[in-house]
Amino acid sequence: MAYLNLDRLRRWTFKVKGNDMSDTEKILSIKDLTVHYLPPEEPACKAVNGVSFDIRKGETLGLVGETGAGKTTIALSILRLVQSPPGKILSGSIEFNGENLLEASEAHMRKIRGSEISMIFQDPMTALNPIDSVGDQIAEVVHLHSKCSRAEARIKVEEMLELVGIDKSRYKDYPHQFSGGMKQRVIIAMALACSPELLIADEPTTALDVTIQAQVLDMMNDLKKKLGSSVLLITHDLGIVAEMCDKVVVMYAGQVVEMGDKRSIFKHTSHPYTKGLFGSLPGAFPDSDRLKPIKGLMPDPAALPAGCKFADRCEFCTEQCRAREIGLTEVSEGHYVRCVLAEGGNHH
Amino acid sequence: MTPLLEVERLEKFFDVSAGTLHAVDGVSFKINQGETLGVVGESGCGKSTLGRVVLHLLESTGGTIKFKGEDITHVNRTKLSELRRKMQIIFQDPFASLNPRMTIFQTLAEPLVIADICKGAELEEKVYKMMDTVGLARRLVNTYPHELDGGRRQRIGIGRALILEPEFIVCDEPVSALDVSIQAQVINLLLDIQRDMKLTYIFVTHDLSVAKFISTNIMVMYLGQVVEFASAKELFDHPVHPYSKALLSAIPNLDIDQESRRIPIQGEVTSPINPKRRCRFATRCRYAKETCMDSEPVLKEYSPGHFVSCLYAEELDQDKKRV
Repeated sequence: MAYLNLDRLRRWTFKVKGNDMSDTEKILSIKDLTVHYLPPEEPACKAVNGVSFDIRKGETLGLVGETGAGKTTIALSILRLVQSPPGKILSGSIEFNGENLLEASEAHMRKIRGSEISMIFQDPMTALNPIDSVGDQIAEVVHLHSKCSRAEARIKVEEMLELVGIDKSRYKDYPHQFSGGMKQRVIIAMALACSPELLIADEPTTALDVTIQAQVLDMMNDLKKKLGSSVLLITHDLGIVAEMCDKVVVMYAGQVVEMGDKRSIFKHTSHPYTKGLFGSLPGAFPDSDRLKPIKGLMPDPAALPAGCKFADRCEFCTEQCRAREIGLTEVSEGHYVRCVLAEGGNHH
Repeated sequence: MTPLLEVERLEKFFDVSAGTLHAVDGVSFKINQGETLGVVGESGCGKSTLGRVVLHLLESTGGTIKFKGEDITHVNRTKLSELRRKMQIIFQDPFASLNPRMTIFQTLAEPLVIADICKGAELEEKVYKMMDTVGLARRLVNTYPHELDGGRRQRIGIGRALILEPEFIVCDEPVSALDVSIQAQVINLLLDIQRDMKLTYIFVTHDLSVAKFISTNIMVMYLGQVVEFASAKELFDHPVHPYSKALLSAIPNLDIDQESRRIPIQGEVTSPINPKRRCRFATRCRYAKETCMDSEPVLKEYSPGHFVSCLYAEELDQDKKRV
């Protein structure tokens, strides 16, 4: 217990020292994160390669990309839940309120998980314990992270259930008695029970019907405002990004290929991959009778090409693209693009 | 012109321990050749069951199915195998719907062998041609499904459905399991082969933007019944049923400048087991009146080609216009 208070103290002193607004506003700052999976006797799977981005207080950041882009690995790295072996965080730092989580002790991480940073998983069907009532599962989180009695925990849980629109009389019901949408609400209640500063939501509505998705998204927005949490929203659905996010980070083959505020990504789309994602959506160009998909597939993370990772699928690809690694270029304030075309300032 | 497929008051009830589950309950529609009927609705509304009943993968418990004017509601095995050549299905999950122990060649050749259409060099030629059609490289002919990604697997599923040169295909959520860029490739492929082979589709999906993009007409289902039927454009421009309106408004909007005008819809789908004789949407409908609770609405032609099943369709629509 003693060292825990020390931890809090340390963070508190940091906050006082770092009086610079831009620093204190940052809840989470990921710098140059590289995570590979190294299965024995197989080539390394390069899941995340030098990713950097920040999340500020109260902000919702959308992390967008297709299967295998490295989105979930980033989320798991923040919570230090990357399975190791085979996973290994090779370099970089993840600063949460100024503290590098990659150097924190396991005991300290356990205090952070579920109270200061919590996560909503994609599949509500498998994220709950089937043999424990939903109320008790939420109470466990409350009990672990706040020094309260069982009776107090129960009151808190009932409050949380009501908050997510589940009648508190269902406290003792088991997960199988709930529908998919209701289960996701239980998981959200669990994630928000300790008012986390950062909520990581990994495809929170992918498994749900569109009307239920709308209910869950509206609820997440309300709760976020009420609790003042920041949100890292992982999704492949640009429609959800449009409705929920302030900032967008587009990932491809373990790299950030474009990032910026929502307006720059949606109105001044610059990277050919991001453009391809929009072109693939049936709703994006209402007057066209054909979609404009991206040809080909994402490269195998175990055999990434040199230079631009998107080159093989890109219609603007030139020799330059394969000759060297491409860096991020700031094309307008806060809007970064990883593309040769953007480097010359003639992005379109 | 005789419609290619004509379904009338089709029913599929399942006996379950708690009573009778009304999966498909009195569904009628027609599809002309070369058209696509999009079937949309939430999980459990009966849209997949409908597709399967039409293909005799499940036997209907009531109503009639006519294919090119011929009643095929009850058919014997010989007739059924003949029908199967003309009517095929593409399944949702390209991971579960392929036999993991069969190569692409075996999977694509099997229908031809079963239907005893050709063998030897001719068979090989047909399989290779089909691989070209669905965009699979010929070098992959001896690979197994687990060696391929989801998009390619779905192309095998499409090839298997096409190889007998059917006239009619039920696409049961064929792109839901795919990433968005791959989804677009597969949708374009489905559109191309439809044009080239003059195919007719029933396209079952929960993704309304995909339905709008690919369909001629769209049928909105709720708890086994059709609540609205209209051309894709008409339905999106002018939805009338409160459920369709809420469903359409729930699609996340890509336009960041447009304020989201979501129509909230309370609660969740009620049970399809022993449904009461009333409007099935009434318990979630914000316009529901007492009459909705004790009389069942029927699907009526609201304007030419636009059918709505709501007791107060005119009234609700008028109200909207006045506002």
